[in-house]
Amino acid sequence: MLEPLLFAMFSGVAIGCALGVVFHKNSVHCALLLVGVLLSLAGIFILLHAQFVAALQVIVYAGAIMVLFLFVVMLLNVKGEVPLLTPGAAKGFGFFFALLILVELLWTVLSPGGQEGAPSEAVGLPRDFGSPAALGRLLYTTWLYPFEITSILLLVAVVGAVVLAKRKFF
Amino acid sequence: MDLAFFIEALVKILVVLGFVLLGVPLIVWMERKVLGHMQDRIGPQRVGPFGLLQTIADGIKLFFKEDLVPAQADKVVFAIAPAISVVTALAAASVIPFGDQFRIFGRDVPLHITDVNIAILFLLGATSMGVYGVVLGGWASNSKYPLLGGLRASAQMISYELAMGVALVPIILMTGSLSLAQIGRAQDHMWFIVPQFVAFTIYVICAVAETNRAPFDLAEAETELVAGFHTEFSSMRFALYYLSEYANMMVVSAVAITCFLGAWHGPVLPGPVWFLIKLSLFLFFYVWLRATFPRLRYDQLMAFGWKVLLPVALVNLAVTAVVLVLKG
Repeated sequence: MLEPLLFAMFSGVAIGCALGVVFHKNSVHCALLLVGVLLSLAGIFILLHAQFVAALQVIVYAGAIMVLFLFVVMLLNVKGEVPLLTPGAAKGFGFFFALLILVELLWTVLSPGGQEGAPSEAVGLPRDFGSPAALGRLLYTTWLYPFEITSILLLVAVVGAVVLAKRKFF
Repeated sequence: MDLAFFIEALVKILVVLGFVLLGVPLIVWMERKVLGHMQDRIGPQRVGPFGLLQTIADGIKLFFKEDLVPAQADKVVFAIAPAISVVTALAAASVIPFGDQFRIFGRDVPLHITDVNIAILFLLGATSMGVYGVVLGGWASNSKYPLLGGLRASAQMISYELAMGVALVPIILMTGSLSLAQIGRAQDHMWFIVPQFVAFTIYVICAVAETNRAPFDLAEAETELVAGFHTEFSSMRFALYYLSEYANMMVVSAVAITCFLGAWHGPVLPGPVWFLIKLSLFLFFYVWLRATFPRLRYDQLMAFGWKVLLPVALVNLAVTAVVLVLKG
């Protein structure tokens, strides 16, 4: 009884905030609304018994990345941003990608294979489902290679950032 | 979800909330008194016995002060920024165990509001959200000093959060659990400060920086930034920032006690009493630090966090992992 209510609340807030991110003029307000989206997503993760992912969502995205976003926005104090595309072209691209995502979502939901992956109600989940231990075990066994490749990718990004920032010393 | 569960949760929430809200004026009083004596003064003594009611009087005074909002401020963000600070500090307090469970009316009552199995991560998440209160307060004032204070605070808190998190990982490795109640229970025989003294030191330093307290109070360095991020805040909004600072101090101290100083364990006296004693001593230590050390320079602060604390924390983590594997 409580679960659909909470889901409605979190998803409602997420959608509302997401609309705010798109339509708000002030970039700091946009960033804040994005934090709202990320937090409600964390709530939805908890409803899905994925507490660890929810915690990471809050710490990494809402807590670290968005603070850096805000930091940059505040430091640069963007008044009127210089548009990359003409308004017409931007709208065209926007609608194109929105349509693409819509088609993709509909494809996934409506295709016969798509519904097998999403059980309609909570089937017997293992007791430690979503716990850090279970997730860690999966990451270091079944998904070891993707996990390590992602780590190397991040390492490359870190080294790249340092090299770019320290260029004047070379 | 039966009625007893509901009542139990409600009572515990009220107890913790009341404890934090009543504890803050006491800590402020203790700080002023201890600082006074350390500086060869006597501190507050006029209001109430030993000046005990001084903070209450100050609170009432703040309550009746005019609520000023700068004309060019971002009104909405200016209003929610202090609230974010308080909410995150209080939310963090909800996972802290202040005693072992006991039986009453045939129910096992654990002494914490909730023990999610990701309690430590929840805490780190709550503290990382607490950054927003400071940053946004600085930005929304639309004034130079608060903005600089807010920017300083955000960089500082992100940097020290990292080392703080890494310093807590060895504890998680040793107990095999992210639950604070489990970590507390695991220190039945030996406090974790003994094998993890390095981690404890790093954690304490980071905790001071994370709560923006002297000698790491660069975000409100009065010689350079007036009052930093809360320069433009007055009346209850200022009081909320004040409250959140001290509530945060209580939370990080409680985490230090739970993770390193044997949680509620101690001879003779019951658990919650021991917890209170340790908490008071730790808060005294906080004030002691403030009276002892001069403020750091900003570049020193950042260099210390990234070039000393984080590498040491990482090495400590690696050594702990290797030792644990070798021991089997």
